[in-house]
Amino acid sequence: MRGRWVGGVAAALSAHLRLPVPAVRLAFVLLVLPAGVGLWLYLFWWVTVPTGNPDDPSTTRPAAMSRLAARQSLVEPGRRLPVTDVGIALLMLAGAVLLVALRRGVAVDTRWVLPLLFLLGGLALAWSQLDAAQRGRLQRVAGGRTPAPVLAVLGGVLLAGVGVVLVVGQVAGEGLAPRVLAQAVVASLSVIAGVGLVLAPWWLRLMRELGDERTARARESERADIAAHLHDSVLQTLALIRAHADDSAEVARMARAQERELREWLYADRPAPSTSVAAGLRAVVAEVEDTRTGPDGRPVAVDVVVVGDRPPDDGSVALLQATREALVNAVTHGHPPVSLYLEVRDDALEVFVRDRGEGFDLEAIGADRFGVRESILGRVRRRGGTAQVTSSAQRGTEVHLVMPTSGDPTEESS
Amino acid sequence: MNEPVSVLLVDDHALVRAGVRASLDARVRVVGEAADVDGAVRAVHELHPSVVLLDVHLPGGDGGGGAEVVRGCTDLLDVTRFLALSVSDAAEDVVSVIRVGARGYVTKAIDGPTLSDAVLRVAGGDAVFSPRLAGFVLDAFGTSVGDVATTDDELDRLSAREREVMRLIARGYSYKEVAGELFISVKTVETHVSAVLRKLQLSNRNELTRWAAARRLL
Repeated sequence: MRGRWVGGVAAALSAHLRLPVPAVRLAFVLLVLPAGVGLWLYLFWWVTVPTGNPDDPSTTRPAAMSRLAARQSLVEPGRRLPVTDVGIALLMLAGAVLLVALRRGVAVDTRWVLPLLFLLGGLALAWSQLDAAQRGRLQRVAGGRTPAPVLAVLGGVLLAGVGVVLVVGQVAGEGLAPRVLAQAVVASLSVIAGVGLVLAPWWLRLMRELGDERTARARESERADIAAHLHDSVLQTLALIRAHADDSAEVARMARAQERELREWLYADRPAPSTSVAAGLRAVVAEVEDTRTGPDGRPVAVDVVVVGDRPPDDGSVALLQATREALVNAVTHGHPPVSLYLEVRDDALEVFVRDRGEGFDLEAIGADRFGVRESILGRVRRRGGTAQVTSSAQRGTEVHLVMPTSGDPTEESS
Repeated sequence: MNEPVSVLLVDDHALVRAGVRASLDARVRVVGEAADVDGAVRAVHELHPSVVLLDVHLPGGDGGGGAEVVRGCTDLLDVTRFLALSVSDAAEDVVSVIRVGARGYVTKAIDGPTLSDAVLRVAGGDAVFSPRLAGFVLDAFGTSVGDVATTDDELDRLSAREREVMRLIARGYSYKEVAGELFISVKTVETHVSAVLRKLQLSNRNELTRWAAARRLL
């Protein structure tokens, strides 16, 4: 909910009742006067009403109707008041008031303070789970992996339990006598255990139903996602192909581009080009396949095999640039099939680009020809790598590039 | 050798079956077709073809696809050999069919004569590796210096020669070109490839088992 000040209750209520937000806020403030009703109402709605706007079209539209890919979830709503800080400040203020009162000689029963603090702290910790914004923050603090909500609930229960036991100790009038404490703990634990046993089957069934429903929803959204993708890309490409049916080169190019995109999408665990040499290489291949054609004007598919992977560095970037030039040469001057092999080892990156053309005589190329000499061989050699071209009329041309790994080798993922 | 090799086509798309049938040359005779797991197992037991061209993703059965077909025909693995034919380049698809006993893996982008060659090779008891399968093998068995096998019966590592052969295949070399490059006979190349296939099927190497376990293939 946008425009929230504290918990967003007033904003949500105004959206629900279609009233201006200031009016709702004013009503809350006025309602505080009779015995703090407004405050209690506010707290009650804060903890019980889930966050989010049910009228928001992005959440109401059923997945089955959706024709677009899964929508991005809303950005975490901005909260103007740092609630945690305010809470801490209030606590400290209360402590200060208490201390001042003690100094002034006001008879405050300090024995109640500690148990009550425990109790309130535990409750606050546990109930904070209901606030989605708070939950997100806790998860981030915990690094996302640890079940932060569970931890918070456990801590809250523990704190509140200690508080309750201490209160019981006070009520029994025997202070913190171990016997009373033990009795209180045993009694409360047995009550909890009894209630737990009675409610367990119902709880289990509830959890199972929830799980089933979640799976069904996940499947539904996946189906919608697939439908969306097929519609957006594959169907449109097929329509384009039909329209260009007499232009076979164009049809082949579109079919190849679509195939590549679909593979990219199906095997979605592929990393982004900026984090992986293999993905960077695929981007290079895609660019060459899309923009270059063979000597006869037909598009050429490149057969790519990649072994290993690691994050890119300066050397790998230079190697990929040289690979691109070699690929362009192979596609435009050679003869398909064009093969590309990249091997990522701990000590080096190795690339082979091969075509089945008639080959050419490297020595016959003048030193002034920039293509092969500078953009492929020079680029790699300047970075400390080795590069060589073997070419013969029978076996085609093969460009072999090796780039030693600079710096410490990073872990190799497969 | 004059007798054409009998082949069973298993693919759930009639269009693909027709295309493959048309691309195969005279050295190969298509004796039947099947479109799902149960039909394929039945056809293999009735026709006893020399080679089954098997799609990895198939409907029917228990949802196990091509691997389930191979598993259903384990009693005939001496007579009938399986060659996986798929558009997929996902490692788990490859490993699933190879580990249950397929003798090779080629992609559907393969041209007719090469596919016929592959069928003949599989019928002759050899293994057929596409560049992508070779790349996958190198990925699974590791490419660093410490990953070289020192003895022949080691299952978890490739020997230096086997790795050299795999690298050449991954670079797009045909068996003949590999043989020329390494100054060995084509027969020796086939022996190396079959040895790699055996390691791929029997190895407990982490990567293989991890993939398989993650996809619940084992």
